[in-house]
Amino acid sequence: MDKELFRLQGIRPVMLLLAGLSLLQSAAIIGQALLLAKSIAILFEGQAVQMAYQPLALFLVTIAARHTIVWLQKKVAGRFAEASSESLQGRVLSRLFERGPRFAASEGSGKLVTLVLEGVDRVRTYLELSVPRTLDMVFVTLPLLAFVYMQDVISGLILTVTMPVLIGFFIVLGLAARKQADKQWRSYRMLSHHFTDSLRGLATLRFLGRSKDHGETVGRVSDQYRSATMRTLRVAFLSSLALDFFSMLSVAFVAVGLGLRLIEGNFGFETALVILILAPEYFLPVRMLGSDYHASLDGKEALGTIRTIIDSAATDEHKEETQATNSQTSLTGGWDGTITLSHIRVVGEDGRQLLGEISEELGSNMRRVGIVGASGAGKSTLLGVLGGFSDPEAGVIQVDGQPITGDAKQEWQRQIAYIPQHPYLFNQSLADNIRFYEPEATQEQVEQVIRDVGLAELVDSLPNGCEEIIGEGGRTLSGGQAQRVALGRALLGNRPVILLDEPTAHLDIETEWELKQTMLSVLGDRRVFLATHRLHWMRDMDWIWVIDQGRLVEAGTYEQLVAQKSVFYRLLTAGAKGEKG
Amino acid sequence: MKEAREGNQGWFLPYFRQFFWQFAVAALLGTLAVACAGALLYTSGYLISRSALKPENVLMVYVPIVLVRAFGFSKAVIQYLERLVGHDAALRVLSRMRVRLYQAIEPQAQLLRTRFRTGDLLGVLADDIEQLQNVYLRFVLPAVSAVLLYGAGIVALGRMDGMFALLMALYCGFLLFVAPAVVLWSSIAKSRRFKQERQAAYRELTDAVFGMSDWILSGRTQQFLQLFTRRQKSAAQIENSIRRGEWRVQWMSQCAIGGAIVLLVIWAGGLAAANQIPATLIAAIGLVAFPLMDAFARISDAVVRMPEYKESLGRLREIEGGRPASVEAQKEKVADQAGGSLKLDHVHFRYPQASGWSVQDVSFEVAQGGKIALLGRSGAGKSTILNLIRGAIQPEAGQVTVNGQPVQSEEDSACLFSVLNQQPYLFDTTVANNIRLGRPDASDEEVRAVTAQVGLDQLIESLPDGYQTRMQETGLRFSGGERQRIALARILLQNKPIVLLDEPTVGLDPLTERDLMTTIFRVLHEKTLIWVTHHLSGVEQMDEVIFMEQGVISMRGTHEQLYQDNPRYRNLYTLDCPLASVMEI
Repeated sequence: MDKELFRLQGIRPVMLLLAGLSLLQSAAIIGQALLLAKSIAILFEGQAVQMAYQPLALFLVTIAARHTIVWLQKKVAGRFAEASSESLQGRVLSRLFERGPRFAASEGSGKLVTLVLEGVDRVRTYLELSVPRTLDMVFVTLPLLAFVYMQDVISGLILTVTMPVLIGFFIVLGLAARKQADKQWRSYRMLSHHFTDSLRGLATLRFLGRSKDHGETVGRVSDQYRSATMRTLRVAFLSSLALDFFSMLSVAFVAVGLGLRLIEGNFGFETALVILILAPEYFLPVRMLGSDYHASLDGKEALGTIRTIIDSAATDEHKEETQATNSQTSLTGGWDGTITLSHIRVVGEDGRQLLGEISEELGSNMRRVGIVGASGAGKSTLLGVLGGFSDPEAGVIQVDGQPITGDAKQEWQRQIAYIPQHPYLFNQSLADNIRFYEPEATQEQVEQVIRDVGLAELVDSLPNGCEEIIGEGGRTLSGGQAQRVALGRALLGNRPVILLDEPTAHLDIETEWELKQTMLSVLGDRRVFLATHRLHWMRDMDWIWVIDQGRLVEAGTYEQLVAQKSVFYRLLTAGAKGEKG
Repeated sequence: MKEAREGNQGWFLPYFRQFFWQFAVAALLGTLAVACAGALLYTSGYLISRSALKPENVLMVYVPIVLVRAFGFSKAVIQYLERLVGHDAALRVLSRMRVRLYQAIEPQAQLLRTRFRTGDLLGVLADDIEQLQNVYLRFVLPAVSAVLLYGAGIVALGRMDGMFALLMALYCGFLLFVAPAVVLWSSIAKSRRFKQERQAAYRELTDAVFGMSDWILSGRTQQFLQLFTRRQKSAAQIENSIRRGEWRVQWMSQCAIGGAIVLLVIWAGGLAAANQIPATLIAAIGLVAFPLMDAFARISDAVVRMPEYKESLGRLREIEGGRPASVEAQKEKVADQAGGSLKLDHVHFRYPQASGWSVQDVSFEVAQGGKIALLGRSGAGKSTILNLIRGAIQPEAGQVTVNGQPVQSEEDSACLFSVLNQQPYLFDTTVANNIRLGRPDASDEEVRAVTAQVGLDQLIESLPDGYQTRMQETGLRFSGGERQRIALARILLQNKPIVLLDEPTVGLDPLTERDLMTTIFRVLHEKTLIWVTHHLSGVEQMDEVIFMEQGVISMRGTHEQLYQDNPRYRNLYTLDCPLASVMEI
């Protein structure tokens, strides 16, 4: 049994209860067999039909009792599975939020959503099926076997010998199927993926004028997929064939053995019948376990993945706690002052250094800081550290001498607005999207902000005004409009610090120009950190950081850096190179 | 074409007819497998009853002994065969369905993007079809087997005792027909509600994960978590009530099976007492019921999943419904391959439901080898103009002509245009195959030559498998600039006179952008170029720069003209080249 299971809260009493129910079930099964055999024996011996009524009625009662027990088992296991999966889901979600957006992006946001919803479902199915069935394997199978031994040793021996053979074949053939699947995994994956791939690339195929002919390819590849699948299935089905084959053959052998010994005469008809009825029941649990084998493998895997997320996050939390105790005093007021970065170092998942030893001091007069560099230089990573989304491996950021950790970090984040290249629009109304940081803001405030960020014209054109639903599943906004919504969010929230990550590079140049005018007019004397490779922004910055391969290679005002004719100047002139003359 | 007409006949029947024999064999094998399980217990019961009567000779029970072993042996084997035949047939259906879905989507490829936005829908559709094949395997085949067994069993009973056969027909009919119907009826509304809750949960969670930084900054994380937990709870409650219903039906079915056995035993005992059947059959009849009834009871379990299939079916129908009426194949038009002069003459276009013009009175002319840059905000009409040029849509007024001949449909003009768009798709096959998509009969040398032209030869040759390297998942192996270069190589292989560039550099950093455009201009310098762009760097090399606004041309001229005469243009240009003004001075 899976060791992970025992780490689930409250599993021991549940297993005890389920084991008890399994035992009761085995008793009911034996009773059911005895009673049916007895009534058939009565009729067989030619007694009046009425004589059989009583055992038959009792037989019905035991059948009802048996399935009531099964029902109870499902209920107990179901309730436990539900509670456990619910708590797992809650924990994995809150850990996810603790680790922040960088972690989510690196793991793949879509994958995480699937894990939290479907992965948890798989775990639930796994718990619901595998726990009671594994217990049945022990607490139903063994008592039945013991009972058969008490009645007839030879039948008991046949059943005993079959079980390991059957399980052995099941496992060996299962492994063979897996090996076969692994062997052709690559071509198999390609074949099974081909159809989705074709649909996704349809626009490209059409542009190339190849989409019509490709229909035939779809059919051909699908047929190849079928033959590949059938090759695997031929082996894969063998393992369930083994389960079926050996259990059925074993029942047949028991029956023939019983028949022969009945002829010899030292054996009762009724006993023989009891054993014959019990033989298929003896194999039932193992066959059930076999048929859910794949579902439980999936569940086991999902449980493992969820565990790694929860556990790895736990160490982070630990680290954070120790830091939090170091900075008991929380910051109050004034986020206007000096921001100091000392020896900041960030290392990526693969061990590569993303940011190295950045130490800088920003006086309170440096309101707008531009961060430039080639893509991959570390601009976004630096913004992430400033925003507290990712903790640096070493170094500390201080605001007015207070390190941004623990409680102070939360307080700091309350001062920040973060506007990425593609701001996320929630699937809510436009007004609620703007209200996101300040759910209590009044309608007037929202409308004021909408005018400030230049969305008034858009709102007027919408059928429901600012109550129009936007985001995925709602009205799509253009890139420039999404930026304005995010800007409105920051303004309404009255956030004194704004982090902008490449806000305009993807926009068409006219939209970029207009958005820039709006931004410059509304940012006022807010503290702005703007990471971009659109260098035209730098004229409007008080201070510029030039990052190259994770290092801060230049810092200064626009005029200083242009005069220096060094890295920044080279970037500027590289951009103008295409120009004539 | 034949397959395309299946459209009106639904997604089940045509295939069922097409593969009738495979499905029939599978269903028969399934029936046989259950029958064998029954026969094993039947003969076993008979065998021990007969043996209990102590025949003088073992040979008397020789036949049942052989039969017991044979049935024990054959049940598993037959079931194995049944599963293979069934899966093979289902996979054949899957392959037909895929071709059909592809042919339904192919003509609306462009439309789909506007109708459903994300490429995810396509993934969902592919899954839907795989779901549908499960209907055959999990429901249709077992149900047919069960009904066959039911019929055979009732006929067998009827030959012995008509009244009792009727009783059993009704009794087992409950298991086979009534119970599944009840399950379906009671779960349908609940499954719909569950599905809704589920979709809401997906939406909310996706929102939360993608907008996580906003939740964190807003300090409302806990609030979200509570809200989400509550939603999950209510979904769990619905699911639980569905499950409870299932369990109840299972319990009732099992008790009903017990009842059936009791009835059969009493009936057989009565017949034996009246000497109508030998007493040795009582045990046989009692035991045979176990596996048979179990097969009946399983139908209720299979039926629970039916509402899900319904949803998949609905989506597929919707997609097929959206396909435009098939255009009759027009005679292949021989376009003049040599020239690439393009003219738009007072072109107007309006989308069916829209009130305003998407493109209004647009005229421009490009000579062979001429180059035009097209700029404008999103929704200004740039993409519509590209579609008009390609013939994907037809102007309401005015005319688009290439080499003096009007462009009438996408198919006719396919030999004139190549397109390089924002996100060219790289297929999950080898690099060479991806490039060769431009012209399938291109030789290895030609592929190498175009790869060298776009400056990818060294990179590709340095890969472990060279040109045979597979693109990983949707081409993640290559960076954005490299992907565009692969697509450019395709276009070079195509060698069409006019190339439409649809914002190929969005999302690239300035250095990559400049390098890519330099390459594009270098390798395409003989072609006619229509370049939709969001930036101005590189427009110096264009013959004309055209700005669109709300469907009309708002500003046009050469770069030099505009830069000198138009302050607005100067402002925009300094965004791309901040030093331009400084250098001027």
